[in-house]
Amino acid sequence: MNTSSTRLVALFALLAIAVVLPFAFDPRGYAIRILCLALLFAAMAQAWNIVAGLANQVSLGHAAFFGIGAYTSTLLLIHFGLSPWLGMIAGAVLGGLAALLISLPTMRLRGHYFALATLAFGEVMRVIANSWGGLTGGPVGISVPFAPPDLAMLQFKETRPYYWLMLAALVLVTTIFLAIKRSRLGYRLRAIKENADAAEVIGVDTTRTKIVAAVISGMITACLGTLYAQFQFFFDPDTVFGVASVSVRMAMIAIVGGIGTAAGPILGAFFVIPLEEFANQIFSAQAAGLSQLVFGLLLIAVILIEPRGFMAIGPRLKRLLAREKADG
Amino acid sequence: MAEPVLDITDISKRFGGLQALSKVSLSIASGEIVGLIGPNGAGKTTLFSTLVGLHRPDSGAVRLDGRHLVGLKPHRIAAAGMVKTFQNVALFLDSSVLDNVLTGGLMRHPVEGARDLARRCLERVGISAIAGKLARDLSFPERARVEVARALCTEPRVLLLDEAMAALNHVEMDEFMALLRQLRAEGLTLIVVEHHMRAIMSLCERLVVLNFGQVIATGTPAEISRDPAVVQAYLGRSAA
Repeated sequence: MNTSSTRLVALFALLAIAVVLPFAFDPRGYAIRILCLALLFAAMAQAWNIVAGLANQVSLGHAAFFGIGAYTSTLLLIHFGLSPWLGMIAGAVLGGLAALLISLPTMRLRGHYFALATLAFGEVMRVIANSWGGLTGGPVGISVPFAPPDLAMLQFKETRPYYWLMLAALVLVTTIFLAIKRSRLGYRLRAIKENADAAEVIGVDTTRTKIVAAVISGMITACLGTLYAQFQFFFDPDTVFGVASVSVRMAMIAIVGGIGTAAGPILGAFFVIPLEEFANQIFSAQAAGLSQLVFGLLLIAVILIEPRGFMAIGPRLKRLLAREKADG
Repeated sequence: MAEPVLDITDISKRFGGLQALSKVSLSIASGEIVGLIGPNGAGKTTLFSTLVGLHRPDSGAVRLDGRHLVGLKPHRIAAAGMVKTFQNVALFLDSSVLDNVLTGGLMRHPVEGARDLARRCLERVGISAIAGKLARDLSFPERARVEVARALCTEPRVLLLDEAMAALNHVEMDEFMALLRQLRAEGLTLIVVEHHMRAIMSLCERLVVLNFGQVIATGTPAEISRDPAVVQAYLGRSAA
């Protein structure tokens, strides 16, 4: 068997395990909810990866699109009884428009300047959501009205269907990421990342390429915002538009796992999200902030050990082993 | 002279206190190989960067096949048919050689078509053997050739080569010049910046000399080597 078919078999085996995994957990328990969040955040980090991983445009404002998705579908459900699936589409359109809007002025920015500009955009959205109480309910937050549990209304009594939904979302977003990576768009994004001037000179419309990628990424992130709202049933501006809770977490997960790779955000999410919960459970009874401190220290340790993320550890081990062999 | 493919009229460009180009005018016929020479800082690279749209000239006009290019972005100028290579070599370092070259083909072809074209370009430049290597791992002469292959993959009408022969040995240089002559025979128009006088004298039928951003002489290699203004620019006043 050649390597690519071995990998395909391994991939399907992994997917099969992921599908039956919830049966190993208490369907009403806490652990399965953590798994759901890990899957959702993996999908979010994958969406972020389209722009940041392929073109190195590191956004710290993706919460803007996430929150737009969460609020759009929820408000449409509250006021018009619209199915969250339709609300998700509306959210995606608005998320894409927001991405276009923020892209136009920031496209010429690179590196830190781009990160700061997007950070500010996310914060502006949070402030608007907090102060426009008439629309969003303000800092008090907003509840998703209960409907009869049904796939059409994207609501379930148990956690398992949410798990499968999140898994499907992750598979879909990862497939989109891989398709983009291998397409013209992917080659162009990588060219921009590695040398934007050279890319332009050999015919890459760098501005248009970055905008297209940002809009795709923003639309997907908004869709995932709807999933989050339907899963949590309650959220406020700080949870869906937050810098730490969403924007930085998306970036961190992809970076810890391996930026620009398809497996990176998945590995990162299944490390960061459970770790965070674990630190919370063990240390939250102690001094205030201790759990965040422990979580932060662990993250720093990981980044120090391998700044390019988990995905770089394999090749590094291989090189080490090869050197051992050569020396021996 | 045949109908000019590239017509440059009174191009000027100023960077702060430095007049990098001043009223440069040139007419390049289709299928010509023109050598652009001049001392360091004469404006050769600035002229190339301005032609492909990386700098916008303060005044003047550039026409390719009669089409005005000033103000267009580099990718539009590439689509119109003019590309340049970078003097300091600007490859996509973390990509393979094949992927580097392929990216040049995406403007006119889907990924698969661009890959086939890229393989042919690598073959033409004589670097098929390193197609799978990362650009980062290449020697400088190899990198310069990948630059040329990538530029060829955009299927240009006019190719601007900025010291693409730097660091080549004599055998490699002869091969490279043979390639340029063949490209010319296929209808490509070339402007070549080069410091190797032996190479440029044998390759080009016409030389243009820049000094302090101005064209100080144009002519055949024999005329240029006798031109007192050129000798003065290169060797200084006392030698003239």
